Amino acid sequence: MDFLSECGGVTMQSDLDLRFVRMQKTTGLHLAMEAENTLQQLTEFADTPQAMTYFYELFRNFYKNGHQLPAGKKVIGTMCLQVPDELILAAGAVPVRMCSGAYAYEQVGAEFLPAKSCPVVKATTGMLHINQPVWGEDVSAIVIPTTCDQKKKGGEMLKEMGYPVYILEMPASKDSDAARFYWQESVKKFALDLGETTGTRITSAALQAVIGEKTECCRLFRKLNDLRKGKTPLIFGKDIFLVTSAYFIDEMGNWQQAVRQLIAELEEREQNDLAVTNRQAPRLLLTGSPPLFPNLKVPILVEQTGGIIVADEVCSSNRLLYDAVSYDEVNLDDMVSALADRYLKPCTCPCLTPNLDRNRKIVELVNSHKVEGVIYQAFSGCLPYEMEQKSISQTMNEAGVPMLYLETDYGNEDLGQLSTRVEAFIESIKARRRKK
Amino acid sequence: MNMQNDPKAPSSAAGNFNYFAGIDIGSTTIKIVLIDQDERIVGQDCWPTGSHFHKNTLAAFESLLARIQISRWDVAYVFSTGYGRKLFKDADDSVSEISANASGANKAAAAHGKVKTIINIGGQDLKVIALDEDGHVKNFTMNDKCAAGTGRFLEMTARNLEMEVAELGACHKKANGVPLTINSTCTVFAESEIISLLANGNGKEELVAGVHYSIARRISRLAKRVGIEDMVFFDGGPALNQGLIEALETELMRPVVVPEFPQMTTALGAALIARETFAYLKDAANG
Amino acid sequence: MNSFKKAINNAHLSRFRFYFQIASFVLLIYGGYLAINIGDQLPTFACIFSEHRGGSCYLLGLQHQMGTPWSSYFSGRGIGILVGLLTFIGLFLVFNKAWCGFVCPLGTVQDWLTILRNKFKIRYGGYSEPVFQRLSKIKYILLALLILIPMAIGNSFFGLATLNHDFGVPFCQICPGRTLLPIFSGDFSQLAIDLSSKTKMVFTALGLLITGIFLAGSFIKKRFFCLFCPMSAFHYIFAKAALLRLNKDGAKCTRCGNCYRACDVGIRAIADDLEHKNIVKDDCMMCLKCVEMCPEQGCLQVKFLGVPVFEATEDGFFKRMRGRDDAK
Repeated sequence: MDFLSECGGVTMQSDLDLRFVRMQKTTGLHLAMEAENTLQQLTEFADTPQAMTYFYELFRNFYKNGHQLPAGKKVIGTMCLQVPDELILAAGAVPVRMCSGAYAYEQVGAEFLPAKSCPVVKATTGMLHINQPVWGEDVSAIVIPTTCDQKKKGGEMLKEMGYPVYILEMPASKDSDAARFYWQESVKKFALDLGETTGTRITSAALQAVIGEKTECCRLFRKLNDLRKGKTPLIFGKDIFLVTSAYFIDEMGNWQQAVRQLIAELEEREQNDLAVTNRQAPRLLLTGSPPLFPNLKVPILVEQTGGIIVADEVCSSNRLLYDAVSYDEVNLDDMVSALADRYLKPCTCPCLTPNLDRNRKIVELVNSHKVEGVIYQAFSGCLPYEMEQKSISQTMNEAGVPMLYLETDYGNEDLGQLSTRVEAFIESIKARRRKK
Repeated sequence: MNMQNDPKAPSSAAGNFNYFAGIDIGSTTIKIVLIDQDERIVGQDCWPTGSHFHKNTLAAFESLLARIQISRWDVAYVFSTGYGRKLFKDADDSVSEISANASGANKAAAAHGKVKTIINIGGQDLKVIALDEDGHVKNFTMNDKCAAGTGRFLEMTARNLEMEVAELGACHKKANGVPLTINSTCTVFAESEIISLLANGNGKEELVAGVHYSIARRISRLAKRVGIEDMVFFDGGPALNQGLIEALETELMRPVVVPEFPQMTTALGAALIARETFAYLKDAANG
Repeated sequence: MNSFKKAINNAHLSRFRFYFQIASFVLLIYGGYLAINIGDQLPTFACIFSEHRGGSCYLLGLQHQMGTPWSSYFSGRGIGILVGLLTFIGLFLVFNKAWCGFVCPLGTVQDWLTILRNKFKIRYGGYSEPVFQRLSKIKYILLALLILIPMAIGNSFFGLATLNHDFGVPFCQICPGRTLLPIFSGDFSQLAIDLSSKTKMVFTALGLLITGIFLAGSFIKKRFFCLFCPMSAFHYIFAKAALLRLNKDGAKCTRCGNCYRACDVGIRAIADDLEHKNIVKDDCMMCLKCVEMCPEQGCLQVKFLGVPVFEATEDGFFKRMRGRDDAK
């Protein structure tokens, strides 16, 4: 780890220094190319809603001149959706979800992480490593919940790089009182510590206002989710993932405005019965490891092949925005514990055990969205998702819904393999339909 | 084949539309099967893939047609399948090799009953396909980004032992001792393992048997994920290898059915799908 | 019809309940002024000691009736007992436990104490699940005693001496309803220890102590007393046959726990029970806050005679959330 700290610090050896600078340059270039490539693929689809342009442009600008952090306010990075961003906003800072889907960053992470670690952790730590000289002073804290082991250990590396890492302790189970209280205490402590970091104490009025804003985001997300239930396919899943990925980096108000416009446009299309794709397109659900921009490889492939993703159960979309905070009394105690409950109780992350809620949630989504097949994406290296595949597969088998398991990562070398599988899966759904 | 746009198309009696072709463009070989209206095989061929997918496929197709003296205009519909399916632009449509394999297996094993499980070994992949009562794909699994246990693995073994791939089966049969254990599942590392086993004075025969068992173990592990049901159908080029069949039967603890031309099943399936699709389109066109 | 249903499902039921409770309170405490009397078999704490009550609690009559010798149960008195019980059951079955959430004056007083606490911005307390489970059993013990003690006045158990009449209506003597509700009609006389006999002295002293605990407890813990209420235990015997029902569709539940957070009593099963359709547990008071807070379409449903009258909807949930912010 020595060389890492040296890279971030002032006493860099010259050859390492040069190599680092070179890596910085090439990574920046590759990143821009990757983002552009994904946007290209996203926009190649016909009949994309006009309102999606906002999101395409958002990402285009975000990656155009190098990956920028928001300026002006204190930035608090989060490494997982389990970090209550409401608290960060109420404390007057800007939350930025750091989970990266960039292959260019993954390649940086691969320099110092074990080959078998998952691409999300590789890309995220890689991103923070390569941007350390620029971001080092702007990031007030990087909050890492103790969800998966790789993020925990990655956090230790970030600390060595010189980032102010904050560990948000989370239980490995959610059903017992002890787990719930432990997590509530953790979140309370986080709220207090945030106040110290930013210098702005969280007040109940500020928190209530932020929760209100977030609730509006949830309402809008659910509205989008509901629009995907109808027989007429109105929007591709790849676009939905872009919208929810935008939540990571966009200002809440702007995001809401753009989503409202998207909803209005989709509602109009619904009125006119205007389908975005073939009405016979097999209706699919995506679950497992999260599609994170620019890695929308699997959703794009699935929809290029003729399927449509009408529902999802992933932490970059549904799990991020489906549940709203419901407090009973307007005081910090009740609101913070309600906030904590919101992040723990409905959570279906495979880090938790038991995690049967995930099986139930998928079955419910299959029913509500008339899903004909489930696509299970697992990033190589993410053992919890890889292992849970068996249980979900069994549940789907019992429900009579076929499931395709794809183990993949951010690279493109397996596209041929993947497309064969996806194509065969879609063909088998069509054959199954003919049988009915 | 798009006949309307082709200047060479005869103006009158534009072909009899009596034949259907399935072309399986694999990573190692191109397989072509031509069938007639009654699903009888009228010609089949197998060519090395080489580096020019499109050119080689077209050449192979034309040479087959010339050999069996059928005009291109008599071929009503062509379906491509396999890794290169999208690259052969002359095909009317393409289908994934999994669906094609399922369709071909049903036909090829018609004499034996209903196929429930297909094990296919290709040049760079391993597939296990579970079929439902109607012969449709119910579930399937493939190897990930790894060539362990595929045709490449056998090629590598043969190369190290300085023999042809076709000789491996006979070599296995000659083994007297216990098959050696090959631990590595990685083709690259297995190579060094084989070399060191040879260097330690182990017999070639036991080693080949060992390689076959290591492939069979890998397949049976993969097969367990989708569930193995009778009857098990084994195809793909390596299914010509008697030693591998023996190892597979031992590992799966049940007999497997191998067709006469195991490497052609997928192409046959594509041809059957071509016939079906053409009939469907004709019906649709005639209202 | 659909828009009407939608309007109902979008309603802020809690606000309606707040006013309904006031109306019920006025009726039960002051109804007498208007010569209103809706009966003496009410399945709720309409206290007989309130002079101008508009109806009274069945538990007093029940304790009285239990105090007679067993032989008389099979005479004309028995018919009286049966009629009383049937009236009680009849009234209860219509509204189920909504009697507790919408009508009970003692429950209403507790809700007012909660509002008061909220004004002072004092945090509330709760129990952990095992403690809750243990405390929840007390009401059945109280119910048993409330029936057995009066029985021992008219009858001898195992040849023991019978109790004297000071043991009559033992629960009323310790019930905080007796001490507190008359205050609302200006009668403070119940806030005293009855020194006429040793038994009465002990009972009334205990009553005052419980009243103190009631006030302190329900200031801190929402609906503190309901967990111990023998009326609630008595209700539960018949609750399965009630016409008003609260159903849960376990398949739609995400176990987000909103309902459990909203539950003033603190019933865990509302969030965690995925098996039972009928989700009215013994401590439930059918305030229906859980339905208001549930964001899953049709997951929680209130039905009357099988007809859905109020159900959880996504729209309703977000409307109420917005209303909560606007109220600020």
